[in-house]
Amino acid sequence: MKTFLTLVLASSLVAAAGAKQIKLLNVSYDPTRELYQEYNAAFAKYWKAKTGDDVVISESHGGSGKQAQSVINGLEADVVTLALAYDIDAIAQRAKLLPADWQKRLPDNSTPYTSTIVFLVRKGNPKHIQDWDDLVKPGVSVVTPNPKTSGGARWTFLAAWAYALEKNNHDEARARDFAARLYKNVPVLDSGARGSTITFVQHEVGDVLLAWENEAHLARKEFGADKFEIVTPSLSILAEPPVAVVDKTARRHGNEIVAQAYLEYLYSEQGQEIAAKNFYRPRNEKIAARYAANFAQLKLVTVDGEFGGWQKAQRKFFGDDGIFDRIYQP
Amino acid sequence: MKPNQLILAAAAGALFILPAWAADNAATNSSEAAEIEALKQQIQELNQKVQALERQRESEPQTAANTNQAQIQELDQKVRILERQHELDKADAAAAVKTQPRLKLDASGFTLSSADTNFAISLHGLVQLDSRTFFADHNIVNDSFLLRRARPIITGTVFHDFDFNFTPDFGGSTVQIQDAYLNYRFVPELQLQAGKFKSPVGLEQLQSDPVTSFNERSLVTDLAPNRDVGVELHGDLFGGTVSYAAGIFNGAPDYNGTTVNSDSDNDKALAGRVFFQPWKPTNVDWLRGLGFGVGGSYESDRNGATGLTPGYTTDGQQKFFAYTNGVVANGQHWRVSPQGYYYYGPFGILGEYVVSDQDVKNGAALADLQNRAWEVSASWVLTGEDASYNGVTPRHPFHLPSGGWGAWQVVGRYEELNVDPSAFPTFASSTASASSAHAWSAGLNWYLNRNVRVNASFSHTVFSGYTGGTPAVPAQAENVFFTRMQLAF
Repeated sequence: MKTFLTLVLASSLVAAAGAKQIKLLNVSYDPTRELYQEYNAAFAKYWKAKTGDDVVISESHGGSGKQAQSVINGLEADVVTLALAYDIDAIAQRAKLLPADWQKRLPDNSTPYTSTIVFLVRKGNPKHIQDWDDLVKPGVSVVTPNPKTSGGARWTFLAAWAYALEKNNHDEARARDFAARLYKNVPVLDSGARGSTITFVQHEVGDVLLAWENEAHLARKEFGADKFEIVTPSLSILAEPPVAVVDKTARRHGNEIVAQAYLEYLYSEQGQEIAAKNFYRPRNEKIAARYAANFAQLKLVTVDGEFGGWQKAQRKFFGDDGIFDRIYQP
Repeated sequence: MKPNQLILAAAAGALFILPAWAADNAATNSSEAAEIEALKQQIQELNQKVQALERQRESEPQTAANTNQAQIQELDQKVRILERQHELDKADAAAAVKTQPRLKLDASGFTLSSADTNFAISLHGLVQLDSRTFFADHNIVNDSFLLRRARPIITGTVFHDFDFNFTPDFGGSTVQIQDAYLNYRFVPELQLQAGKFKSPVGLEQLQSDPVTSFNERSLVTDLAPNRDVGVELHGDLFGGTVSYAAGIFNGAPDYNGTTVNSDSDNDKALAGRVFFQPWKPTNVDWLRGLGFGVGGSYESDRNGATGLTPGYTTDGQQKFFAYTNGVVANGQHWRVSPQGYYYYGPFGILGEYVVSDQDVKNGAALADLQNRAWEVSASWVLTGEDASYNGVTPRHPFHLPSGGWGAWQVVGRYEELNVDPSAFPTFASSTASASSAHAWSAGLNWYLNRNVRVNASFSHTVFSGYTGGTPAVPAQAENVFFTRMQLAF
């Protein structure tokens, strides 16, 4: 017995001596705070059970474009989980911290969950907002962030543009006029989605918030379903927020393996369930079916199908002197 | 009576009058009946209008209330939008400040730095206008005003860890580069410096030019190397209680007022210094200002005259010793310099001893000559400020309207330099050089503020071993009165 106890003690000491504490930084976009708070705890538990190592995951949140720029400027992210592929492309192209084909390294183009853009209105929908057309009416105050800095805002802009094109037989001039009228109704441009939610929910500015689906659900959950309603437009966009390991940084930190595992675990059943619980549309069909009631069915266009991909869309709409610069007058 | 009441009264009157009139006139006909019917119709219409007017009047307050409510809501939204916009503007302004370069101008100079301080450039300056007045010198030395130092000093940092310094000197009669180096701060404990800078040997030599007690350094500095070109590792250990420096340099001869920027031979010198301040980070006030250490150098110099000192000079910068023509360096040259200081409150004392041992040759004659020097200087800040190796900061800068007189300090020094007796007569001539110099000095320093200093001092130097005649520097004691006006920022 004494020998057995000695062996147990010795093996425990060896195990304890071998355990490492790993620090990982996830640089993400604005509305993923709650998702990754829950997910990080689950992953740390999973990783501890698998390897015996403690992993402490720090998060940084902000407008997706701003976050990408921070990583380019030296913010030492091991992984990035941003709002759109263009922002990670920028990190790959300008800072060369990961390969250009980063999106091929994980399933579903490295987008473990999807989302879309919906409307959040005040209880009773006093301005009778049902679809995109209602947003351009005089007297309707629309809250949405700045597409130059926010990934969600870029998805929103494209959703509105796609709606206007469909409504006007793909007449670009009329779509442009529609977008101009829409942004004329925007009194405040926040830099990120969370800022816009605060503007709408806490500061009670505006009649409608154009929000990530998860952000709209979260606002209702946090601030009361009796205060807000979600309006699902007839058409929106399939938002695919991507994730990637920042190879060079992760390698320098000795975090390559854990960073890869961190992202892969997003595709696991538990990871998918956490995403669904936080109102992100899971890729896993079984989980998606379980949470189907949370997600309205609507027509969703894709950035590739409608706009020829993010590179083209970015250049045309959000680049310097792009369409947004021309139609938006603060 | 209101208009609608008047109309009703008139209509009622008509109802009563008309039948009476009809009874009195039996000849009522069908046209009159129709007329009555029309009047009834009119009355009914009027009645309806009255009712409508009354209803409208009743609803007016509600409509006005609704209009007011809408206006209030609209104004409320505008206020909320403005408030939020103000918040965002403030956040943007705060974010912008974090990325904007910073400009600073104060007693430490002018500094421009990036917001993250990874990049910075500073402009400093040092100007010293001196006077030297010699007494009883048989007019062999000119009394003179002189621009002792005139240095624009550019320092800075690039990529956070790389510091640089570029210091030309326009004082004197030639322009020199005093310092030009790059320093990589890996950590405070380990730094690599390369370029031209002070060789890490002499305590007095390493003291910054604007804060020395007297206009000129002592005889000790005649035996220490000046600025040299090379590479050194240096750093501060254990919270600054130990500092060290060790490097490889081109090799500087004893006393070298004019430094050069390249080597004239293949030999290199090793120089190093370790200095202890064991109580520096403690609360033991009376020991915190104690520092002591040792510096030294070694070089094997076989290239003749270029490795040999051009001569030793007095406080008044007059040469009192030089090797005779034909004497050259011929082998190893080493120096050892134990050194220390002690500062406590307004009191300060600094001492240093140097041995410079050098193999020399004059034709077939060889010798290993050991020259020695030492000095002790003491100071007292009359106005009570703390004395330190890094100077005195006046508590009340000079400003007559507010009664500020700056800081006043008295200083005194004793110094000696003794040339190895074996140098005479084979390697030096007693008719041209003295074998030793002993000097005392006293002075008064006035620190008007952190940037301006005025000082005056007197030095008396006596020589021994000189057998030549007059006029010559070592033929009589040197008595020199110094003044200085200094701007340093």
